[in-house]
Amino acid sequence: MRSYIQIIKTTVREYAAYRFNFLLWRFRMLLNTALIFFLWFSIYEGRSLFGSVNKAEMLSYILFSSFLSAFVMGTRTPEIASDINNGSIINMLLRPISFFGFYFAKDLGDKLVNVSFSFVEILFLAYAFHAPLLVPQPSLLFFYFLICGVIISFYINMLLSFIGFWTTEVWAPRFLFTMLVFFVSGTYFPLNLLPTTIYQLLLLTPFPYLYFIPTNLFIHKPDNFLVPQMVGALVWTVALHFIARFVWRTGNKNFSFWGR
Amino acid sequence: MNTLVKQFRLFTLFSRFALRTTLQARMGIVFFMLGKIFRFVFIFALLAFIFSKTKTLKGYSFEQTAVFFLTYNIIDSVSQVLFREVYRFRYMVVSGTFDMVLLKPFHPFIKVLVGGVDLLDLVLVIPYIILLIIAAFHISAITFGSVLLYILLIINSLLFASAFHICVLSMGLIFTEVDHAIMIYRDVTGLARMPMDIYKEPVRSFFTFVIPVGLMMSIPVKAFMNILVWPVIFYAFFSSWVLLWGSIVFWKRALKKYQSWGG
Repeated sequence: MRSYIQIIKTTVREYAAYRFNFLLWRFRMLLNTALIFFLWFSIYEGRSLFGSVNKAEMLSYILFSSFLSAFVMGTRTPEIASDINNGSIINMLLRPISFFGFYFAKDLGDKLVNVSFSFVEILFLAYAFHAPLLVPQPSLLFFYFLICGVIISFYINMLLSFIGFWTTEVWAPRFLFTMLVFFVSGTYFPLNLLPTTIYQLLLLTPFPYLYFIPTNLFIHKPDNFLVPQMVGALVWTVALHFIARFVWRTGNKNFSFWGR
Repeated sequence: MNTLVKQFRLFTLFSRFALRTTLQARMGIVFFMLGKIFRFVFIFALLAFIFSKTKTLKGYSFEQTAVFFLTYNIIDSVSQVLFREVYRFRYMVVSGTFDMVLLKPFHPFIKVLVGGVDLLDLVLVIPYIILLIIAAFHISAITFGSVLLYILLIINSLLFASAFHICVLSMGLIFTEVDHAIMIYRDVTGLARMPMDIYKEPVRSFFTFVIPVGLMMSIPVKAFMNILVWPVIFYAFFSSWVLLWGSIVFWKRALKKYQSWGG
């Protein structure tokens, strides 16, 4: 456990060492949030409801989903793909530490730094532009979905990096995934505003569990236990765990590199 | 004239090389194209979704808002077609390859600015233009004069884009930092996917006049719809030339500070 805590600390220190790069990255994230925030702000001018959602609910959703996505989606796993491609992954394989555990700890460090900055950013947007925000009401169910979201995101990111075992073209699939996540995970609006059939179909994919459901539960107390969604999140978490481990083992068997 | 012909020949030669390099990564082409198509379709669907529940966005109809989005996509895609090589400039600087470019008997911009034309993005421009024409037929205020002005202002926007990319190259020479600078340029210009009117003050003024994203992306559309006054149009043309001149001065200064990193 001590090793993993040390990895988290080291990751945080890495960001402190390259702080200008990190600040530029956060500025980019702020711009992306600002576009959606101002879009909805202007839609609510002269109206109180959009569908069944009022202004405070929508702006809270947009800002808190940005905050939670910094936690759920923050990852250092893309570097695995280049490590596989250039052979330096061999250094990791020789270390007496779990490969998945190592990267999960690194991800936690990344998430901690990103979420702290994201918190300041959403406070800035809310305060500077007088956005009405709902007071968060996190329940136990929220934490259940948040943990599932973090694990789902971790394994999907690992799987995208493992593509490096078979090809050097690792960035294109990740780009496609980022686009999908951006639009079908509820970055632009709460997914339950979509027609029921599309919403139900999306619940069969892992995307709504990343931060749409956690954000909804962050700002609203749940009316019931959301059993189908709880099962859906658990199924994806467990399935991706096994798929990622299977692909990792298969990739290791195929792995060859040039040596150094 | 001979020099111009020579530069153009070099440009086409580098473009052919760039196309061959791109075609090496076939899987990459498919995924990147799919990603770009998804992004476009999703944002368009988002607009349709918003306008299914509201009639106007800051006074603009669905078709007018679509023209803003399509114009942004056209300018952004053409810029990416032309200036893709800028994304690879950092490697040239830190590996010392840029020294080789400086030694060649042609202007370095032929290689480092427009030397990596990405023709794949051009494929996407065609549907954007078709959709733009369809949307334009639903906007009554458009005249022949406004279409002409729109085209001129789009060309003007490409001058803005050239200036921004030259600034990024110059920053690359001084700080060896290109990746974040170019991505910030992309994200800042991305704010103009929607009409700049949605932003509250002082954000709107800042991104219209200080960082002229609004002049670059929104002004052509407003001219297209005949909702602009002439002083703003003149200001847009004037600022693009000032910015282009400033970026070239910045480049020359950066070049004087450049120290080879060695290979």
